[in-house]
Amino acid sequence: MLQIRIEGRGGQGAQLAGQIMATAFFREGKYIQSFATYGGARRGTPVSSFLRVDSLPITLHCDIEKPDAILCFDSSLLNETLLRGATPQTKIMVNSTKNPDDFKHLGNYAITTVNAVNISSAHNLGRIVNSALMGAFAALIGTPDIDNFLEVVREMSPVKIEENVASCREGYDLIIKEKGAV
Amino acid sequence: MISKGDTMLLTGNHAAAYGAMLAQPKVIPIYPITPQTPIAEKLTEFQLEGLLQAEFITPESEHSAMAACISASLTGVRVFTATSSQGLMLMHELLHFASGSRAPIVMVNANRTFAAPWGFWADQTDSLAQRDTGWLQYYVENPQEALDTVLQAFKTAETVLLPAMVVFEAFYVSHALEVVGVPTPETVKSYLPPYEPKVMLDPEIGRSFGNVVDQKTYCQHRQTLDLAMEEVFDVAKNADDQWKGLTGRGYGLVEKYRCEDAENIIMAMGTISGTAKSAVDKMRAEGLSIGLLKVRLFRPFPVQELRGILGGRDRVIVLDRNFSPGNGGILHQELKAALYGLKSAPEIFGYLAGVGGVNVTPEKIEGLVKQSLSGQSSAKSIWGW
Repeated sequence: MLQIRIEGRGGQGAQLAGQIMATAFFREGKYIQSFATYGGARRGTPVSSFLRVDSLPITLHCDIEKPDAILCFDSSLLNETLLRGATPQTKIMVNSTKNPDDFKHLGNYAITTVNAVNISSAHNLGRIVNSALMGAFAALIGTPDIDNFLEVVREMSPVKIEENVASCREGYDLIIKEKGAV
Repeated sequence: MISKGDTMLLTGNHAAAYGAMLAQPKVIPIYPITPQTPIAEKLTEFQLEGLLQAEFITPESEHSAMAACISASLTGVRVFTATSSQGLMLMHELLHFASGSRAPIVMVNANRTFAAPWGFWADQTDSLAQRDTGWLQYYVENPQEALDTVLQAFKTAETVLLPAMVVFEAFYVSHALEVVGVPTPETVKSYLPPYEPKVMLDPEIGRSFGNVVDQKTYCQHRQTLDLAMEEVFDVAKNADDQWKGLTGRGYGLVEKYRCEDAENIIMAMGTISGTAKSAVDKMRAEGLSIGLLKVRLFRPFPVQELRGILGGRDRVIVLDRNFSPGNGGILHQELKAALYGLKSAPEIFGYLAGVGGVNVTPEKIEGLVKQSLSGQSSAKSIWGW
């Protein structure tokens, strides 16, 4: 089972990101479970969204405490509390202008950074970073298939559809290129 | 032959709304509250799309919504509603009125903590506090079971003429997107006949419900409720069996998981039972003889079935995501009463786990089981977090 945690702030689209990724995995024939606990959330307050993906029906109904991968929408959220349960093997992607080395003080974690605001603004999306981030994240964890994923982004983007698709593609390509360079 | 229908990604709320839509209620009195509101929203979408032809009534409170449910139901039509937490509390008076009037309303309740302090979290105390109101109560653990159980609840409620609650936890079910099989309207039509009560409110006839009665009549009336509740076991089981025949999905009134030869049994309701399956698998792999018993029908409480299953076991570990101040976990209390006097009764351990919506992982469950293996049971529920 693949267990993913998405950390964002209310209004950034972390929950929608979870649903879009869930839909992409579902199209690949997987069982999924995507939920967020956000009852008291307002714009700006931290929101955790959880995604489980498996080839068998999922019976777990609890928060993910030991994720295989973390997608963090906001580097100000990336701290010891958020990383509790992460290991050096956990793939972590964070939206930041900084380099991974700038997060070394947090411990021995596999952190990849992406400047998603840069990508989003280039595609006329301003600070709406979820498509760029999801593309980058898919490249980092190697799933779901990008063409299938872009199709789901196209179907589920509420506005600026082609901009979101292009932004997702660019985030994906950027990380694929970086991975190739390593 | 099993009809597959469509497979969709749905949250528990939307799955319940699909179940309700497929049942084609004629009246839906409803008042929004987090985390149930998406049910109300989805139903109005269905209405707009022409998939539902119901009269929506949106009064000023849940109390009035339930009053509308009762009177609508007594005119002989199918009625659906949904609520949660504070809303259910506000309905309390009318819940008794509904069962006393023998109005087979089906209501979804999304379990949420109630004030004070304020919160939105998964906790079953809101619905368990309604256990004496004369409603059937089903506790379900995922969106698929929510959809299936709404339909089973209509079939059972309308046969025994009692209202039924389908209950699931905030967020872990209400807002959890999962893969759900949605039956075809034809499948549901063949399963759920139109609701045609023999007695109903009709201006032509001039009949009323809920009149003043003397003591003896009141007592007799309570006995008819008792008889109706007794009937539920067979009716609900048949409703589940028939649904399984049509869709391949059946759950039982209690669900047994790896219980065959188990010396130790974990017992829970709702989502914790799903999570406990992982804990059972792990402990089984390590050689512990353990299984899980999920209580799906809580009212009426399947006392005879539980006595049959649990007699001869060593230990039952009850996990309660609810709390009755002064007497601990409600399932724990009910089980102790149900097994009283049973020869070879198991030792019963009660843990309060997940109260207030705190996270309950398989590791947490495993820890509580291990704690019970090395300790003495107590009459009091233990805080297990």
